[in-house]
Amino acid sequence: MASVQFNGIVKKFKDNLVLNGVDVDIKDHEFVVIVGPSGCGKTTLLRMLAGLEEITGGEILIDGLRVNELHPSKRQIAMVFQDYALYPHMTVEQNMSFALRLRKTDKAEIDARVGEAASILQLQPFLQRMPKQLSGGQRQRVAIGRAIVRKPKVFLFDEPLSNLDAKLREEMRVEIAKLYQRLNATIIYVTHDQVEAMTLAGRIVIMNKGIVQQVGSPIEVYRKPANLFVAGFIGSPTMNLLSGKLSLQGEDLFFSNGDIRISIPPYLLHDAKKHDGREVTVGVRPDDVLVGRTGEKCSDKVEGVLEVCELLGHRENLYIKAGNTRLLATVEAFFDRSPGAAVSLCFNYKNMHVFDKATEKRISE
Amino acid sequence: MEILRSIYEVAGFIVLIALGVGALEAYFYYHFRYYDRPWFFPVALAAFPIGALVAASAIAGSYEFSLWFYFLLAEALIAAAFRYVVKGRHTVPYLLLAPAFVGLALLLVYPFAFEVYLSFHDLKLNTIMMWKNTGRIPFAGLSQYVKVFTTSPLSEVTFWALLGRTLLWTFSNVFFHVLGGFALALLLNNAIRFKGAYRTLLVIPWAMPQVVAVLAMRGEFHSQNGFVNIAITKLLAAFPFLASLGVAPVQWLSDYPLLTCTIVNIWLGIPFMMVVILGGLQSISSSYYDAADIDGASYLQKLRFITVPLIKPVLMPAVTLGTVWTFNNINVIYLVTGQAGGTEQADILVSALYKAAFTYNRYSYSAAFAIVVFALLFFISVTYLHGFDAAKEER
Repeated sequence: MASVQFNGIVKKFKDNLVLNGVDVDIKDHEFVVIVGPSGCGKTTLLRMLAGLEEITGGEILIDGLRVNELHPSKRQIAMVFQDYALYPHMTVEQNMSFALRLRKTDKAEIDARVGEAASILQLQPFLQRMPKQLSGGQRQRVAIGRAIVRKPKVFLFDEPLSNLDAKLREEMRVEIAKLYQRLNATIIYVTHDQVEAMTLAGRIVIMNKGIVQQVGSPIEVYRKPANLFVAGFIGSPTMNLLSGKLSLQGEDLFFSNGDIRISIPPYLLHDAKKHDGREVTVGVRPDDVLVGRTGEKCSDKVEGVLEVCELLGHRENLYIKAGNTRLLATVEAFFDRSPGAAVSLCFNYKNMHVFDKATEKRISE
Repeated sequence: MEILRSIYEVAGFIVLIALGVGALEAYFYYHFRYYDRPWFFPVALAAFPIGALVAASAIAGSYEFSLWFYFLLAEALIAAAFRYVVKGRHTVPYLLLAPAFVGLALLLVYPFAFEVYLSFHDLKLNTIMMWKNTGRIPFAGLSQYVKVFTTSPLSEVTFWALLGRTLLWTFSNVFFHVLGGFALALLLNNAIRFKGAYRTLLVIPWAMPQVVAVLAMRGEFHSQNGFVNIAITKLLAAFPFLASLGVAPVQWLSDYPLLTCTIVNIWLGIPFMMVVILGGLQSISSSYYDAADIDGASYLQKLRFITVPLIKPVLMPAVTLGTVWTFNNINVIYLVTGQAGGTEQADILVSALYKAAFTYNRYSYSAAFAIVVFALLFFISVTYLHGFDAAKEER
C-alpha cells in the first residue's frame, strides 16, 4: 500500500481552468473521499492520478515517486469506473483476469487471484456469466473484483455507486466499508454524494470550482466547516444560512437581519468589539433550531409561522417563516401543529457558525 | 404546349394511381366492414370478379372470359379469409398497408413468379414469336437448370469458372473494403484537424452516381491517357532502376480486366464500410479504453481485444450487405469491361447472366441461372445472419 501526494496540481482544458493548485496528502492505508458538486474537478483529479488525463502543472507522487509521466498501467493503481467499464464481450472471469493475462502472468497465479477476489466479493457463481446477464450491484462487484485482482497500491473509485438505485447504493456502501476493513488499502473515492462521503471516509476532501475547500475528518468538516461552501454542502438537510450584520450593544454582540435578532455569545466570537458592524452569514443546522420545547433556556426567542411540515418517520422537517426569513428545523416526530400556526424557536448557540460575508471564511470558533 | 401536355399526362397518371388506390381501399373496406352480414358472400362474389374482369380487359385491351373464373376463385378465398380469419380486426393498419402491399406484390412477387415460370419453359430468340402470337412457350422441365451447370452462359467460360471467379471477386473486394474502411475509420476517429473535410472527401465516391464514378475511374486506367500509366511512366523516368524490377505501364483494360474492376470496386466500396465502422467506433464508450489503459493494454492489444469485438455487431450486417452487393455487382464489371460483348475475362455470375439474357437472348436459360444465383446468395446470407445471431447470443 502507498501514500499519494498532490502538489500544486493544475489542469486546463484549453483556456478552461478546471483545477487550480490542488494540494492534498494522502497517507498509507487511508480512505479518502473527494466530494464536491458536479464540475468541481474531482473526477479530473482522480483521472490525473490514474494517468488518464495529462497534468498541466504540479506533480503527483505515489509512494514518494513522481508519476506524472508514468503510463497508467505502471502506476500500480486500479480504478473502478462510474459505468463499471466491464468489457461486454468477456465473461466475468475474463474481465477480472484481463490485466493479468496481458502481463502474461502464470495461469495458476491468475486462477488463484481471481478465485480469491471472487470469494471476497461472493462472485463465484457468476464467473462464467457475461456482464449483460448481471444486475447492477453484481456488475459493481465485478468491477471492484477486477481492481482487487491486480493487487494495486491505490484503489481509485470514480462515483461507483451513482448508477445504482437507492437501496442497492446503501448495501454497496456497507460492502465497500467492509472491503476497506478487509483490504486495509489506500482508497481514493470520488463522489458527489455527501452521505457517502460522511459514512465512508477516514478523511474528506471537499472541492469546489477546482479548489480544495477543506480537508478533514467527517466530524471536523461537519462540526467546523471552514467556509460557507462546506457549510452548505455537508450535512443533510442543508444548513440554514442567514445573512445580516453584527452590532455591539454594551459588551454584547448581536446579529440581526431585520427579521431575526439574536445575541452571539463570546465563546463563538471573542473580542466582540472587533466585529462591530461586520457583515456576516450565520449558519445553523436544522437540528440546532429548537422549536417549542418548554423549559429551554433561551434568551432570544424568534417568532415565526409554520409553513409546511414533512414527516420523515422518526423526525419531522418544519419549514418556518420568520418575517421574510425562511428557516428549516428538524425536530422529533410528532410535532403536533398545523401549518399556519405560530411557533417560537431558538438556536443552539454551541453549534452555530459565523462566516464573514465577503471572504466566506469561518470566523467563529 | 409541349409542357402543358406533359403536365396533363403526369396529372392523368396521378389521378389513375389515386383511382386505383381508392378502388383498392374500397375493396378492402367492404371486406373489413361487412364480413359478418348475410349478404357478404353473394355480393362479393357477384360484384368483384366482374369488376376485376372489366378492369383487366380494359388494361389488356382484349377480353377473355376464362379469367372470370380465376377471379371468382380468388374472391371466394379472400372473402372466406376475411370472414373466418381476419373478422374485421386491425382495419385501419391493414387499410393503410394495402397500397404498399399490393404495390410490392406487383413489383416483386409477380416478376419473381414469372421468372420461376420462365425457368421451367423455353423462351429464347427462336420461340419468342411463338410466345407473342399464341401466348404459349414450350415446356422444358428441369432442362434449363441442367444447362446452367453444363453449358456456358457466354461463349467460353463455364458456370463453375464463373462461380469461382465470383467468389474470389467477392472475397477480395469485401476483404479490402473492410480493411480500408477500418483503417480510415481509425484515422478519422482520432481528434484530427479538418476531420469533417476529410470525411466528406472520402465519402464522395460513394455519394456519386456509380455510373459516373466508374466511368471516370475507367478513364484513369486507359493505357495511354490514364492517370495510372502516366504515373508509372513518370516514375520510371525519375527512377530508372524500377524498370529492372519489372515495373512498366500495363494494358489494364485488356490484359487485367478483372484486376482493374477489383481496384475500381474497392475504391468505390471503402467509403460505405468506413462510415459504418466509424459509427461503430464512436459508439464505443471511452471508459473501456481507460480501463484497458489501466490494465496495461498496448495500442494493438486494445485494437484486438476491445475495438474489434465491440464493432462486430455493426460490422457483421455491413459485411453481409457488402457481400451481397459485391456478389451482385454488375455495374462495375459491365461499365469497365465494355458494355456490349467485350471481354469475358472479367465476367462474374451476374454480369454473365445479364449478357446471356440481353446479348444472347436466352431468356429461360437466364431465368434458371438467376434462380441459381438467388439460391446461392440466399444461402450465403442465411449463413452470415446465423453466424451473426450466434455472435450476438454470446454477449
